[in-house]
Amino acid sequence: MTPDANLLTSLYHLVAKGRVLESLLGKLPGFHPGVGEEGVVVGAFFGLKDSDYIAPHYRGALLAAHMRGADLRRLIAGVLGKVTSYSRGRVRGDICLPLQFNTLGMFSGVLGNPLNISTGIALAASLDGKQGVVVTSFGEGTSNLGAFHESLNLAACLALPIVYICQNNGYAMSTRTDYALKCASVADRAQGYGMPGIRVEGNDVVAMHQAVQSAVARARAGEGPTLIDAVTYRISGHYSADPNDYQPKDERASWLKKDPLLLLKARLQAQGVMTEAQLNEIEKAAEAEITQAIAEAQADPDPGLEVLGPDDLYSPVLERVA
Amino acid sequence: MSQLTFQEAVIQGISEEMERDERIFHLGQDIGPIYNGAMHSAKGLGAKFGPRRIIQTPISESAMVGAGIGAALAGRRPIVQLMFAEFLGLGLTPLACDAAAMWYKSDGTVSVPLVIRVLYGAGPHRGHSEDYQAWVASVPGIKVAMPSCPRDAKGLMKAALRDNNPVVFFEHMALYHGARQEVPEEDYVVPLGEAEIKSEGSDVTIVATALMAQQALKAAEQLRGEGISAEVVDPRSIVPMDIETVRRSVAKTRRLVVVSESWKTGDPLSDLTASIAEDLAGNAPLKIARVGLQNTPRPFAMPLARAAMPNVQTITEAVRRITESS
Repeated sequence: MTPDANLLTSLYHLVAKGRVLESLLGKLPGFHPGVGEEGVVVGAFFGLKDSDYIAPHYRGALLAAHMRGADLRRLIAGVLGKVTSYSRGRVRGDICLPLQFNTLGMFSGVLGNPLNISTGIALAASLDGKQGVVVTSFGEGTSNLGAFHESLNLAACLALPIVYICQNNGYAMSTRTDYALKCASVADRAQGYGMPGIRVEGNDVVAMHQAVQSAVARARAGEGPTLIDAVTYRISGHYSADPNDYQPKDERASWLKKDPLLLLKARLQAQGVMTEAQLNEIEKAAEAEITQAIAEAQADPDPGLEVLGPDDLYSPVLERVA
Repeated sequence: MSQLTFQEAVIQGISEEMERDERIFHLGQDIGPIYNGAMHSAKGLGAKFGPRRIIQTPISESAMVGAGIGAALAGRRPIVQLMFAEFLGLGLTPLACDAAAMWYKSDGTVSVPLVIRVLYGAGPHRGHSEDYQAWVASVPGIKVAMPSCPRDAKGLMKAALRDNNPVVFFEHMALYHGARQEVPEEDYVVPLGEAEIKSEGSDVTIVATALMAQQALKAAEQLRGEGISAEVVDPRSIVPMDIETVRRSVAKTRRLVVVSESWKTGDPLSDLTASIAEDLAGNAPLKIARVGLQNTPRPFAMPLARAAMPNVQTITEAVRRITESS
């Protein structure tokens, strides 16, 4: 299947924007940037319906939420704890996302919880019977958690409409995938749950998008869940201050050649969709947009103490009986 | 009115709410019409509502709790039965770390209407009795119900199913198939956070929930014969705690005994005791005693298990200890 020029252009806009976002936010303290992993994020979450739900991996979460319609300045304000953020500064906005965009983030720092919870969203979608689907992503480290096993098995038993995407960047903090997983691919684990397991070159955003879309179509048709091992590489450190000096130089060098942004640019030029000048123009526009959003968010006020809300513990509404 | 056991009352509450509200479904292991749930905790529900609303799962507590949370976020009102309170730990991170925080952290845009059911308590079962209420009561954002009788059990279950927050509902196994009680047939709820004075008195306040509330009532009866007038307050929900009703009672009696089937260490009733002391100790002498499970893991052999547990005798002894000396 040859993707048309419009699709390639749309994907490029997002990957370019993602690169700028991850690079610039990676300069903020404590951020977990996803430079080099934008192909997986864009490929996973592009082309879904507004009524579908996503639950993205924390690395690349802001790009995913922005793709769903969340405002960049407000998302960045969330990273900084500003009152203009979606939670007014009550939650760390680098990993927790506004659910009003049908985008689930992490309400705690516990990996695996979004896997469980997104499986429940898929259960609701299944009960609703309106062909809604859920796409969730997580790191390969998380695929060693019990929550992964339980979620995938439950989703298979109940034939839930969900696509599980492992954003496999080779490292869980400093722990290498080849140390912590003894199967050749995370996708191999799918066999144990009786669902399809597919390994994809995550840095090829087009291949990624196509693999996810066929899994989404399968889920929408009521045929159940799919596990996708999206192989990529963590160019960033685990978080801003991580020197990342444990990645072997030759390994890193070989992956830098497979940078998803470079691959996509080469493809767009080779297919004659855009010239190098046009591509650079788009990157510059993304940089300007994000630089401005960061500047605005940084200038936004901190929350006043009225946001503390000591009595705001429970949803006060008692459900009216129909 | 009809005479129901605790278990029948819980199921009647669930059944009535499921009939009213299509969004409610029930997730659990072995809850379908073949087995009807551990200790018949879902008896008749599978036959009545079918497999799309009474959904059986594999043994996967973490995924079950997570699935309940996710479905709640997407507009459903799930019940998740975890069989026993012992298993709460397996599903605790999605519940306590994520669901409990969602309303507050989302600045009031995300609520989680979810009921988690667990069996617990020393009784007919030779295992699964541990009272782990403290695990869930210690995290802000989770409500915890601990009914002591069929009428409260049904009313609290109906309130839990109409609440927009996560509620953990403890069902005591010694009460489960025990004494029947008149349970109203008309629609009623027992609000979470509303204590009831189960027996009025003037000399001492005894606070207890579930089986311990029943024991406290027996103790109060015995003490009455000795000329000691004990007021038994059953909070009915541990979270929210109706501190006001307890405070009013203790302001009158100036003596407080809290009785818990749980360990005194980290016991939510110890927290209540501290709050009462904070509020009232400065005004006039205040006598306090705590009765709880021996501070070890629960021993197994029946004589040991009985001796480690609070009972009518240890309650009356505690009451005498703080009444005789004054």
